Amino acid sequence: MAPVRDARGNEMRLQTVPHGGGVFGANRQPGLGGHGGSPNGPLNEVHVFWIAGMSCDGCTIAASGATNPSVEDLLLGRIPNLPKVILHHPVLSPGAGTEFIRPFKQAVNGELGAPYVVVLEGSVPDDQAFPSDIGYFSAMGAGGFDPESETDQPNRVTDWLWKLAPGAAAYVAIGTCATWGGIPAAAGNITGSMSLTDYLGQDYRSALGVPVVNVPGCAPVGDNFTETVAAVLMFLQNLAPVPKFDELGRPAWLFGETVHRHCPKAGYYEEGVFAEEFGDNECLVEIGCWGPVVQCNITERGAINHMGGCMVAGGPCIGCTMPGFPDKYSPFLKAPPGSSISGGISKVTGGGIRRLRRLSMKKGNRTGVWDNAHEVPSGWGRAHGDKGPVDKANGFFYEKLQYRGSVNHAKRNKRQPLPQSRDILRQKGVDLTASVDVLGERVKTREEL
Amino acid sequence: MCFKNLPIEFDSQGNATLKQGVANPYTYTETPAPTPIEDDPERMRELFARNGAIRRVDFDPVTRVAGALAFHTVVDLDSREVLETASMATLFRGYEVILQGRDPRDAINISSRACGVCGGVHATTSALACEMAFGISPPPMGVVARNLLLSTEYLYDHPIHLSLLAGPDFSEEAVRETNPEIWTRAENTRTQGREVHGYEFMSELMTDLTPLTGKLYLEGLYYTRLAREAYVLIGGKYPHPHTVVPGGVSTTIDPSDLNEIMLRVVKYFDYGRKTVAIWNDIAEFFYDVNPKYKDIGTRPKNMVEPGQWDDPFAYDASYENCDDWGRRRWATPGVLVDGELVTTSLQMVNAGVEEFVEHAFYEEWTGNGSGNEYYKFPTDPAGNPLSPYHPWNKETIPKPTATSWKEKYSWSTAPRWDRMAMETGAYSRIWTAAMTPNYRQSNYIEPTGHSLKIHLPKASLPNTEIEWKIPEVWGAFERNRARAYCILYTAAIAYDNLLLAYDLLRKGGPDAKMSTPFKVPKDHRIGVGLWSAGRGYLTHHMEIDKGVIKNYQILTPSTWMASPKDPFGNPGPYEEAVMATPLLENYEKPEDFKGIDVLRAIRSFDPCMPCTTHIHSDDRTITREIISCACGATGDHEH
Repeated sequence: MAPVRDARGNEMRLQTVPHGGGVFGANRQPGLGGHGGSPNGPLNEVHVFWIAGMSCDGCTIAASGATNPSVEDLLLGRIPNLPKVILHHPVLSPGAGTEFIRPFKQAVNGELGAPYVVVLEGSVPDDQAFPSDIGYFSAMGAGGFDPESETDQPNRVTDWLWKLAPGAAAYVAIGTCATWGGIPAAAGNITGSMSLTDYLGQDYRSALGVPVVNVPGCAPVGDNFTETVAAVLMFLQNLAPVPKFDELGRPAWLFGETVHRHCPKAGYYEEGVFAEEFGDNECLVEIGCWGPVVQCNITERGAINHMGGCMVAGGPCIGCTMPGFPDKYSPFLKAPPGSSISGGISKVTGGGIRRLRRLSMKKGNRTGVWDNAHEVPSGWGRAHGDKGPVDKANGFFYEKLQYRGSVNHAKRNKRQPLPQSRDILRQKGVDLTASVDVLGERVKTREEL
Repeated sequence: MCFKNLPIEFDSQGNATLKQGVANPYTYTETPAPTPIEDDPERMRELFARNGAIRRVDFDPVTRVAGALAFHTVVDLDSREVLETASMATLFRGYEVILQGRDPRDAINISSRACGVCGGVHATTSALACEMAFGISPPPMGVVARNLLLSTEYLYDHPIHLSLLAGPDFSEEAVRETNPEIWTRAENTRTQGREVHGYEFMSELMTDLTPLTGKLYLEGLYYTRLAREAYVLIGGKYPHPHTVVPGGVSTTIDPSDLNEIMLRVVKYFDYGRKTVAIWNDIAEFFYDVNPKYKDIGTRPKNMVEPGQWDDPFAYDASYENCDDWGRRRWATPGVLVDGELVTTSLQMVNAGVEEFVEHAFYEEWTGNGSGNEYYKFPTDPAGNPLSPYHPWNKETIPKPTATSWKEKYSWSTAPRWDRMAMETGAYSRIWTAAMTPNYRQSNYIEPTGHSLKIHLPKASLPNTEIEWKIPEVWGAFERNRARAYCILYTAAIAYDNLLLAYDLLRKGGPDAKMSTPFKVPKDHRIGVGLWSAGRGYLTHHMEIDKGVIKNYQILTPSTWMASPKDPFGNPGPYEEAVMATPLLENYEKPEDFKGIDVLRAIRSFDPCMPCTTHIHSDDRTITREIISCACGATGDHEH
């Protein structure tokens, strides 16, 4: 905008205010947190700059749900020997505007006076490829980076990202957008979006010599992020060994296994039974689950506070932690091609296994007393059913194998006399015919059964 | 009937038709935006002569909102007025383009990622659009499961706003810094709700609103997690669930799931009562200090609400019947103009919507009205007239340019209903329900026409009557207060649906199935999902052809409210609300100004920017070349 001039030709500009948005006061520690912390470690204090690029804020929400540790555990200094952590976060920081941006600028200019970690949520648009006067896809703060600058244009997030990189103690990419590119970088990407590693390049090392740390997931398990941060801080405080990261910079202990290996429905796969419709309880592979080939820990750790998890609730895995997400797992809700082979094999072998297990299970559902009495005293009806010849044959061989070289409890039980006070109400002549029929399944007499 | 500005008439049967005899009826003449103060020599001279207290205050970024929002103001710190406002969405990701050309089965899980604060409702709204296009609807249990998902989602959503985002502006430190005289008064003011929340003095309550160290802040954080624990039992994870599918959900629900959800939901009976008592005390205290606080963030009572929480035995996913099944929702659809309910028809909610891009970083797509006669969908599937600016007709091309208050300054479009700026949110939901005649049968919710009564079973706190009354003056404090009541409103609906779920599970049979099988149709179909998010209005408009998505458009609550100015010269709701805000902050000299009243006004809307900014496009392929070309030049390019 062209400057307006007064009658004498002097440029007229509106003054700004120095503390706009600083509703918590200039004397307050900027950012959120900074309580407690260890004064004895190599790091007394660390600032965390959370930047949102092409982001949906889902990683922020996921991190706010973490409980192991929680964000407030880190910020309130509740974990002994960790440094004081001060978070600068656009969704959580008390101050806004100038007051919020000030520490970011101090970090860029090397004037922060404390080490800092940068966390990126969201992918990186190709804004640096534009001439600077034609806008942005992602911006934060305005007024340029040069103190002499008089621009009022928004500052591109991509400028913050590269300017903060050399001084950062560590650079953490949270979520699949920042780690790999995610949906903004999928087919149809019109913003030139990419991952943080693509943007900074393979040679990037933080001020402490660490490449970009990647905690993927769309959105990630909150605990995966906070735990990784805590692990890195413990290492920096000489309390724990350096955490292990895999060849793509993922925390190795979190992403080393496939999500299928810890899936509660994996047992169905083993027995060759598969969900056919959405809402069926069996293995979800044939309705579109990629779990057997996806590195993720959500079925083991749960989604929040150890609860939930995609397949735990019945949601097919769509590969959201993986670099190939989403295109290499699309269309969703359709069986992956590999499942026709592996699933087919498991139907054959698993089908046999399942039938044998049912036999053993039926046997296990009988007490020794019931075996001797040749009846099951349940009023619910369902548990009844005599042993057929197959059960008997199975029982014979099963017991042989089970007790070989040990004590045969089947034989010992057979010698056990039946308790005399079995069926005591009948022996005492208690009349139950007045029972109210709320179940629609009245308790039946032995004769009726 | 319900339209004053759109060229739509109603016949004696109440059917909507286009006004006859008008050429290009949707054409308008653009009213230019006012010249920005800093570009207007005469205004500048006048202001410089007026006093030494004119300041430009830019809040970039506005923190404690979800997503990327910046807000420009020019204020007169002598007369304590706001002279100029501009609301800027500063992020664009192109989700709809990424959705184009994909298998419709990807729509739910891709569009969920439009927003990470309320991804669950995007997934569901997308499922509704798919169901309409595919011609299927879920079995009752599938609908109930979704109702449980989206009630537990809002039980996380409202506390996160009240405790973590808005609450700190009323905390001890903020009040001492910006209005120390109010803090002194708070130390001597007894609360009204002390029996419920336990705070004897206002000052104690305000101390506990402090970020991170305040008990209410930490308690709010805990309650955002507790509801998410319930959510993930059905949704798998949050914010992006993987169990929402066309035709229902892929969850298996067993009694343990319902028990664990129930044990969490009932905790909100007490937490909701406590939160209501706190926000009642905050509003009444500030009004008592200075009645002008009622004007912080005030604007006309114009609201749009598509409703949510479907009746499991009424929802059939069809557009033709959506007025009927819409009215059966626990949150009923409707539009409020000046506080009057002008329609409860979901079709009219949809047909009244237009989006404008004069001040957004997009190119106009109708050829400035010249395409009026030949646009794709002149009517909706029920025959109601649609504007060329309606989302089903939208065809927008991104055009990043330098920011200019006069020209283009935001990635948010300007949605309007009947060409009026509308707000939407938890409050429009409770307000519309309060005014809806013949509200559905519910054990716990009773609209009275001027209030909404919520009869909850007793938990730990005494079972006093809960009644939200439609406020006389509408502003920031009332938005927050209504949101607090919505915790109880939502908990009541969650509980209603839990009891339904227990019943369906017990009875078994086809009603207890979780989903209806579907095939992706190969012919041309359209669908729309209308389902309000935690923060209000949300629609997904979808067009599919030959088994792929041809057009996909998402219109979100914060697009409505963060909107820039429209071609009729009207500001967006944030802009309008901040313009009307008196600056009651205590400052001796302009240099001390922080802007808390402006921030309270903006935050009361619960802005959520991630999904506000996206592009809509037709079958036209948008490539980076076109963008680079469009933004690199002033019009002299070859394309």
